[in-house]
Amino acid sequence: MEHDLIKTVWRKVVLMDGGMGSMIIDAGMREGDIPEAWALKNPEKLSAIHAAYLEAGAEVIQTNTFGGSRLKLHSSEAGAKLDPVEVNRKAAELAIKAAREHDSRDRFVAGDIGPTGLFFPPVGQLDEETAVASFEEQAKTLAEAGVDLILIETMYDIREAVAAVKAARKATGIPIIAEITFEKRPKGYFTMMGDTVEKVVEQLEAVGADALGANCTLTSEDMLGLVSEFRERTALPLVFQPNAGQPAIEHGKAVYRQDPEDFAKDLELIVRAGANAVGGCCGTSPTFIRAAHDRLTLTG
Amino acid sequence: MEKFLTECAQSIIDGNAEKSAELARMALDDKHPVLEVINKGFVKGIREVGRLWEEGAMFLPELVMGAEAMKEAMTVLQPVLEEDAAGKSAAGHVVIGTIEGDIHDIGKTLVATMLSANGFEITDLGADVPVVRFVDEAVEKGAGCIAISALLTTTMSGQKKVIEELESRSVRDKISVMVGGAPCNDDWAKEIGADGYAGNAVAAVQLAKRLTGA
Repeated sequence: MEHDLIKTVWRKVVLMDGGMGSMIIDAGMREGDIPEAWALKNPEKLSAIHAAYLEAGAEVIQTNTFGGSRLKLHSSEAGAKLDPVEVNRKAAELAIKAAREHDSRDRFVAGDIGPTGLFFPPVGQLDEETAVASFEEQAKTLAEAGVDLILIETMYDIREAVAAVKAARKATGIPIIAEITFEKRPKGYFTMMGDTVEKVVEQLEAVGADALGANCTLTSEDMLGLVSEFRERTALPLVFQPNAGQPAIEHGKAVYRQDPEDFAKDLELIVRAGANAVGGCCGTSPTFIRAAHDRLTLTG
Repeated sequence: MEKFLTECAQSIIDGNAEKSAELARMALDDKHPVLEVINKGFVKGIREVGRLWEEGAMFLPELVMGAEAMKEAMTVLQPVLEEDAAGKSAAGHVVIGTIEGDIHDIGKTLVATMLSANGFEITDLGADVPVVRFVDEAVEKGAGCIAISALLTTTMSGQKKVIEELESRSVRDKISVMVGGAPCNDDWAKEIGADGYAGNAVAAVQLAKRLTGA
């Protein structure tokens, strides 16, 4: 069978993995560390996180390269000392090794690309050419290391998402998924910059994304309403990765209190509303993914 | 005069910095009372921008452009205000920054811009600011308020450390502390003994006014 996620999502619902940041913190990353740098110093711990998600039933695992673009890495003093090519290659190799070691055929490794942290005008001075160059290097490195697809995520400005998809297209022929971050406002779903679902779908289709969707910020309950808005506007596969509720502060630590079972129930509704792949974002863990796996398998 | 003030407010709502600066210069040329032009014109505009943003009718780009237009107008009017008030800022001095280990500064910059647009004197320390530096700067500049942003659950404890540093130097009673950033909330502010939490730039202006009595 051909190892192509886009073909797989038309055959069956695909389960993605969940949050990485909180897992890394629990595994001992200290304050102020850069997750990508920490993971390279603690490869066995990152491998264990990937393995836990695979064990829980995730069919797609995401490389620990969210902040791995050159622009993002080099925006901090500690990150400026790192070589983006090395950071992305090693993180991809660890995820690929974890997927191979897991006793299953149909597992995919998504090369994860997050925002640069810089802003287009009028908020900042980022331009498309600069953004594309940074994303292209990251996508090329991840693809050459052997990931199965590129997952562009947590994009709050459609211009940056478009730059990332264009860059990934230039760099590689593997499938590209683009997930945008929406907020629920009194007048509907918008990105931080005011982009609508209509605009997001139109522009991502135009630059050749193979699948679209949303992640982060929204709870699983709020994400549900967004799914049908996407489904009405596109025939492409849809991917959604909501947060586990809203964070509460307990003893100075962010705690997500949503019950994994409730999260799994919402994911099931998200699938019914038209999603082809689902997973988690902030606050989710292998426990959430296992709950989703059991629920989706039971009813699928 | 009424029409002129409405034009001033509208230039801010439109995020038209060229227009707002031109209106500010016009106000000086025509010898309009500066405080009235600010309070009943430009400030009214920036408040409306804040309201529209909270309502979800405006987004980050419009909010930033409104604040930029406000800054341009205030750059023209500030020198005259300072002559009138003998160098004293109208609303007080705030030292602001993103805490050590955290390089997220968009929210912080937005708060700084909005505070400045509302007449506060601002010392913006940028991002990744060591605990000690917040306190050093506030003491040196005689600021009445420190605003600390933290966007990560791993860096938010730094906000608490700033308060501890203020206490250890016995200046806590002179300097109020406000906190913000995605993982923070009212409970967190209470837990660490801060004077308040603001969830967005507009709320931060209200909070700073309350804390400094401006």
